[in-house]
Amino acid sequence: MAELSFNEDHGYLEGLVRGMKAGILTDTDYHNLAQCDTLDDMKLHLQSTDYGRMLSTSEEDLTVSLVDSKLRENLVTEFSCLRSNALPPLSTFLDYITYSYMIDNVVMLITGALKQRDVAEVLPRCHPLGAFDQMAAVGIARTPTELYSAILVDTPLAQFFQEAVSEDNLDEMEAEILRNKLFKAYLESFHSFCKSLGGATRDTMCPVLEFEADRRAFIITVNSFGTDLSGVDRSVLYPSCGKLYPEGLQLLTRAEDHEQVKAVAECYPGYKIIFDDPEPESGCKTLEDRFFEQEVKLNTLAFLQQFHFGVFYSYIKLKEQESRNIVWIAECVTQRQKSKIHNYIPIFK
Amino acid sequence: MCSLLRGEEMCLAQLFLQSGSAYDCISELGELGLVEFRDLNPSVNTFQRKHVNEIKKCEEMERILGYLLREVKKADISLPERDVNPVAPLPKHVIAIMEQLQRLEVELGEVTRNKEKLQRNLLELTEYTHMLRITRNFVQRSAEREPLQVQYEEFPFLEKDTMMDYSSMQRLGAKLGFISGLIQRTKIQAFERMLWRVCKGYTILSYAEVEDYLEDPDTGEPSKRVVFLISYWGDQIGQKVKKICDCYHCHLYPYPSNNEERNDVVEGLRTRIQDLHTVLLRTEEYLKQVLIKASESVYTWVIQVKKMKAIYYILNLCSLDVTNKCLIAEVWCPVNDIPTLQRALEEGSRKSGSTVPSFVNRIPTNDAPPTLIRTNKFTSGFQNIVDAYGVGNYREVNPAPFTIITFPFLFAVMFGDLGHGTIMALFALGMVLYENNRKLKNTRNEIWNTFFEGRYIILMMGLPCSERRCGRLLISMGIVFSLWIQMLREFFTGPYPLGIDPIWNLASNRLTFLNSYKMKMSVIVGIIHMSFGVVLSTFNHLHFRKKYNLYLVFLPELLFLLCLFGYLVFMIIYKWLVFTAKESRHAPSILIHFINMFLMQGDGVQPLYPRQTGLQLFLVVIAVLSVPVLLVGKPVYLYWLHNGSHRLGMYRGYERVRRNSEEELYLMRAHDMEEGSGHSDLSTSGERQKEEFDFGDEFLHQAIHTIEYCLGCVSNTASYLRLWALSLAHAQLSEVLWEMVMRVGLRMDTTLGVLFLVPVFCLFAVLTVSILLVMEGLSAFLHALRLHWVEFQNKFYSGTGIKFCPFSFSLLPSSFEHDGLL
Repeated sequence: MAELSFNEDHGYLEGLVRGMKAGILTDTDYHNLAQCDTLDDMKLHLQSTDYGRMLSTSEEDLTVSLVDSKLRENLVTEFSCLRSNALPPLSTFLDYITYSYMIDNVVMLITGALKQRDVAEVLPRCHPLGAFDQMAAVGIARTPTELYSAILVDTPLAQFFQEAVSEDNLDEMEAEILRNKLFKAYLESFHSFCKSLGGATRDTMCPVLEFEADRRAFIITVNSFGTDLSGVDRSVLYPSCGKLYPEGLQLLTRAEDHEQVKAVAECYPGYKIIFDDPEPESGCKTLEDRFFEQEVKLNTLAFLQQFHFGVFYSYIKLKEQESRNIVWIAECVTQRQKSKIHNYIPIFK
Repeated sequence: MCSLLRGEEMCLAQLFLQSGSAYDCISELGELGLVEFRDLNPSVNTFQRKHVNEIKKCEEMERILGYLLREVKKADISLPERDVNPVAPLPKHVIAIMEQLQRLEVELGEVTRNKEKLQRNLLELTEYTHMLRITRNFVQRSAEREPLQVQYEEFPFLEKDTMMDYSSMQRLGAKLGFISGLIQRTKIQAFERMLWRVCKGYTILSYAEVEDYLEDPDTGEPSKRVVFLISYWGDQIGQKVKKICDCYHCHLYPYPSNNEERNDVVEGLRTRIQDLHTVLLRTEEYLKQVLIKASESVYTWVIQVKKMKAIYYILNLCSLDVTNKCLIAEVWCPVNDIPTLQRALEEGSRKSGSTVPSFVNRIPTNDAPPTLIRTNKFTSGFQNIVDAYGVGNYREVNPAPFTIITFPFLFAVMFGDLGHGTIMALFALGMVLYENNRKLKNTRNEIWNTFFEGRYIILMMGLPCSERRCGRLLISMGIVFSLWIQMLREFFTGPYPLGIDPIWNLASNRLTFLNSYKMKMSVIVGIIHMSFGVVLSTFNHLHFRKKYNLYLVFLPELLFLLCLFGYLVFMIIYKWLVFTAKESRHAPSILIHFINMFLMQGDGVQPLYPRQTGLQLFLVVIAVLSVPVLLVGKPVYLYWLHNGSHRLGMYRGYERVRRNSEEELYLMRAHDMEEGSGHSDLSTSGERQKEEFDFGDEFLHQAIHTIEYCLGCVSNTASYLRLWALSLAHAQLSEVLWEMVMRVGLRMDTTLGVLFLVPVFCLFAVLTVSILLVMEGLSAFLHALRLHWVEFQNKFYSGTGIKFCPFSFSLLPSSFEHDGLL
């Protein structure tokens, strides 16, 4: 029944986001971009897409980082347009999207502070979607507890801190653990929020979030090999809202090397393909890339249904992937690595 | 006239442009707007084309121009008159323009940066003065309490302390530190909270709002700020406080340690602010001068760059010939304009001083040329109505010239009111008379523009209304004329110069009479309109050399329409003529007769005229017989042609050599296609290939057409009844308005009534204009539009052509106009 009144509140924004989705670069666009020899050529081609005159209005010379920041700016403009027009359940949903960026920003600021970097130097590198007022003060904190009680208690991140509070001194390892703890809490909270929304939103968002949770579990496990993070330590960090929960996570806790992780993935058809055929390693598709590919696939599915919030999440994620693609191509173009240029992940084939 | 009826004859031509003079030639062509260029290298990417660097340069110049325009706009300098139309600059002059632009950009950038820096400085100094002024009060009030009640920052404010010297406080706390500055008012709450949490209360924060609005240096918006003073113990805390201040983007200023210093600083600040003011003023003046200088030529540059960029785009569409000496461009061009085109090329070559001339060469083609119908400001409105439905095929009969006559007529039938029509005509006349007014022309109001574009249509629509028909508006004055046509005249004793006898307004059966009369008129008008449409299709059949269509499509269509509905019209007119007012009681019902005609009975009713049944039977039989002819005639004939076409092929081959105009070729190709044998590539190889003739396909199309037409005749006739319905609605609405509003005012017969009449008339006038003129006018327009698009045009107009859009500088939009900078 929620569909009946969906358009009353969110119809405009859904229409808007579907319109913006039509502007996502197509295969031919990528094909043309991959043929470019200089960044100027790319600029010329991007002019004929929805990006329009985005790159041509700046006075500075074109560099990859400029392209990156412009793309980011573009995404933020679009998102803030959506956010400022959103009504309650959707506005919370959109806020949830920003939280992941906020977590990343916090951890980045902490590591920056640990390395004695100036805040002014680190701040511009933070993702603008996750910007918040107290951001610059993050470096003051020395322990997670202090971080929570002094700085983040007013921010929406406070709700994820319940498990993360500890008196250990913040070092790089601790910061990474903090990030994963926060993400675990965040994903679980987002998952239950989507569940409570019900309807098509639950049907589209839950698989995406479950995938995200499992991806984190896999990545944590793979990354922990060779560090002093024990299996039990790891298990605290696994988000418990994914498909792997609970058996898969237990198996992952016991995993010792890559092969064992692969064996775990074998039991889940969705993840089997990601870990499958590691042979063509020369194709240099990293595990990360494959996860991204799978994520893009899941996100494109959201557009098949109507009257739900999943499209907003998927649009932002797809747009982010598109930015990564463009930056990758630009990077290849400037470094004359034509052979690797096709390693981008096409979005709508 | 012929060109309005059919559109211009077009041809495909090749332009051979010497590479030295190509730029000038294209520039000439752009000024003239004669030809439409075709892309000769569609497979090449935008950034791989030949002149991509020049285009990039143009874009760079556009960027600088955009910057200049924005600055000019910000400084509120109006651009000079825009009537200049400079030609595209020569490539060698471009560098000069580029340099000028770059110099301006650098200069402007420097001055603006300076100005911003000065403004920022000024702001800082102002903030500093505010801070010093306000913090003085804090210290005097809070000095005594501080060492005792460190935890509670609010407490010092609660009580008025005895005045205490600042120096006494210095003695108390050697390690006491101060940080003071300004912060946005909205952030002070969060700032205070975080300070409290982080420093566990080892700080004292006191703050007060600045009364004035200070400008935010980043956004330029005035905002309220708060001056604060933090006193803290110890360096550790001091570090943290500083970080928090950074985080909240506070503007920090050094806090003077004693009163003398404070006074010195205040004094120093005052003089510096004054100095800054004068410098800032100077800078602004200089900036303005630079901008005024730039604004003089900026518009010219905008036009020049626009033209130059367009020329390079066109040059990118051309291909190089084998020798690399000249460029080849393919263009669509009206045949009549070829001499002009040739002259333009000569002119271009002469300007660039090249020795080898550029020339035009017509080439045969079998592509469908685009449609060009030349219009003037009067016909363009009507042409737009037709084009909105669909641009006509090449050389197809164009409904626009007929629309000019019938559209206002149908509109007038629905909107028929002498008074309202006059008002509308006057409104349109006003627009026509002032059409050269710049203000009217350049307005951005979309709704207004719609009316303005259609000013001639409105004028035409208003005129027949005033000529033809009645007005409830004029009822009161007793000069009620009503309704259209002279035919009615013999019906009444005294003929009226126009409209219906006003005495009908008093008759009790007025509405019955008017309704039946209007309904019949609608049917008559509709049948005439549709038959006209069918007749127009013959022009197409003859022109496209499909004579068989005349017998197999046109004739059955016309017979079907006329035998059934033409006969209905005949009966209506016959009844009007034969039965006088006295016998009208015995007049038979046409409806019954018409129904009986189909049922083939009618023995019970009295006939209209002798031998009626026989004639009706004959007509029905003809109409029924024409349906199968329409259905199978054309496909069968084409099938027969296809099977017997081997012998005919040679004959046509000979014919093709003889005629070489493109149009003929195009027509022949269409002809051949119809007959089932087409040429795949006629112009180049001349090789003929048999094309499969699909009888089933052809038959299906014809069947659809037949069903559509036969059912359409019934439904379209019914559709014309909207003429009656809308005319009735309009009449009734105006009457209601008159009765309910104006009558009330007129009924008061005291002297007060005169005064009362004024507001009543105002209301009446407003309602008349908004409802009767605008709303009813729009609805009548809409219905007239539909009658033309559907009922009239589907009889002969396919409207699947492509519009000819010539390369013309005047038609190119400027990117700055889009941004609203011009």
